[in-house]
Amino acid sequence: MSERFDDSSDEVLGRRLAGELHRYAAPARLRVTIVEAASPAPRRPAWLAPLLTAAATAMLLALVVLPVLPRIVPSDPAQRYVRAVVSEHARTLMWGARHGEILPSALPWLTQESGISLPQVFVGDDRLTFVTAEPVYLERSRGVAIHYRDVDGHILTYIALPAPGLTVPDPERVQIGRWRPALVRDNGFAAWVWKQGDVGCFLVSDMVSVDDVERFKEYFTRVRSTTEPVPAY
Amino acid sequence: MADLDFQRQALAHLDALYNFAMYLTKRPPDADDLVQETYLRAFRFSHRFQPGTHLRAWLFQILRNTFLTFYRVREREAPVAEDGVPEWDVPMFHHAPDDDGTTMEVHTDLERAMRRLPEEFRTVLLLAEVEGLPLEEVARVMACPVGTVKSRIFRAKERLRGLLSDYEKR
Repeated sequence: MSERFDDSSDEVLGRRLAGELHRYAAPARLRVTIVEAASPAPRRPAWLAPLLTAAATAMLLALVVLPVLPRIVPSDPAQRYVRAVVSEHARTLMWGARHGEILPSALPWLTQESGISLPQVFVGDDRLTFVTAEPVYLERSRGVAIHYRDVDGHILTYIALPAPGLTVPDPERVQIGRWRPALVRDNGFAAWVWKQGDVGCFLVSDMVSVDDVERFKEYFTRVRSTTEPVPAY
Repeated sequence: MADLDFQRQALAHLDALYNFAMYLTKRPPDADDLVQETYLRAFRFSHRFQPGTHLRAWLFQILRNTFLTFYRVREREAPVAEDGVPEWDVPMFHHAPDDDGTTMEVHTDLERAMRRLPEEFRTVLLLAEVEGLPLEEVARVMACPVGTVKSRIFRAKERLRGLLSDYEKR
C-alpha cells in the first residue's frame, strides 16, 4: 500500500523503500559460477615440479658436459685405427666423397693435401671401378682415401696414413698369396689391415659374409699389388 | 584464497549484493559480472577482513569500489559538490541505455525514481533504508563521514519525493 507523496515524511519514504522497492534475487547460476571461479585449479602433484626441474637440469648439464667427456676408445691401436677407417668408410657411404677428383691428374694435389705419395696406385680394372680419392685426417694423421665400387655395387675404401704405432694383430692375419694382412671386423664392416713401412693401410668394405670374404681377398690382392704408399714429407 | 567457511559466510549475502549491483549497473549482465568480481576480490583478500566486523558492509564496500573502478565512467561524471553529490541527471554509464532490451525491468514508480537518482544517492538509500545498514557502516562503505551520509540521505529522499511527485502528476 503506497502512501501519498505530498504528506510522506522521511520515515514513511524510508519504510516504502524497505518494503516496496523491488528486490532482485541473484540467479542460481551466479552462485555456481562464483564457487567454481573461486575453486583452486587442480594442483599438480607436489613432486612433479622438482622432478621436472631436476630432469631439465640434468639434461642441460649433460648437453654441456658431453662434448668434453673422454671418449670411450679401444685401447688396442689396431682396433682404434680400424674404427676410424670404418667411420670414414661409413661417412663416404652416407654422404659421398668430399672431393670428386680423378686420378692420376689429381695425384700431385692429393699428395700435397694428404702427405702420402703414391708412386703406384690401383686405378681400377674390370671388377673394381675407381670412384674418387681424397685426403683424410684420422687418428691425428693426414692420409689418403681412395674409393672403389665393384661390379655388384659394393663400395670399398682404401686408406693409407702414417701409423708408426700400429701393429697388425697376429691372430687375425690371413695368408693371401705372399701377404698376411689381418681381417678385422668392426661395426658391421670388414677391413684388411696391413703395413707398408710405417704407413698403415686399410681396405674397408661391407663384405663380411664367407662368400664375400673370398671376393674381398681378391680385391685386397688387386689393391695391394699395385699400390705403393709412402710418406711424402 | 579464502577458506570454505569464509566463502559460505560471504555467499550468504549474495542476494543482497546482487540487488545492490542491479540498482548500480541497471543491467543484469553487468550486475552478474560485478557481483562475481566482488566475490573473487573478497575471497582473494579475505585475510584483510577483520573477524567480528560487519562482513555484509565489507562486501558492499568491495562491490561499490569495484563498480566505481570498472563500471563508472568518471569523465562523464558531473563535478562533485562539497557534500559529494554530483549534479542531477548526469549519465553515469557508457552502456546503460534506459530502454534497450537488456536493461532491468522497472516494476514501480519508486523503482523508476530510484534509477534516476545519482549513484551516491541511490547507494546511500539502498544501504541505509533497503539493507538497513547502520549509518556508520554506510559511511564506511562510501568512505565518507557519517554527517555526509545523513546529508545525502536527506537530499536523496528529497529528490526522490520530487520524482515520485512528478510521476504522480502524469
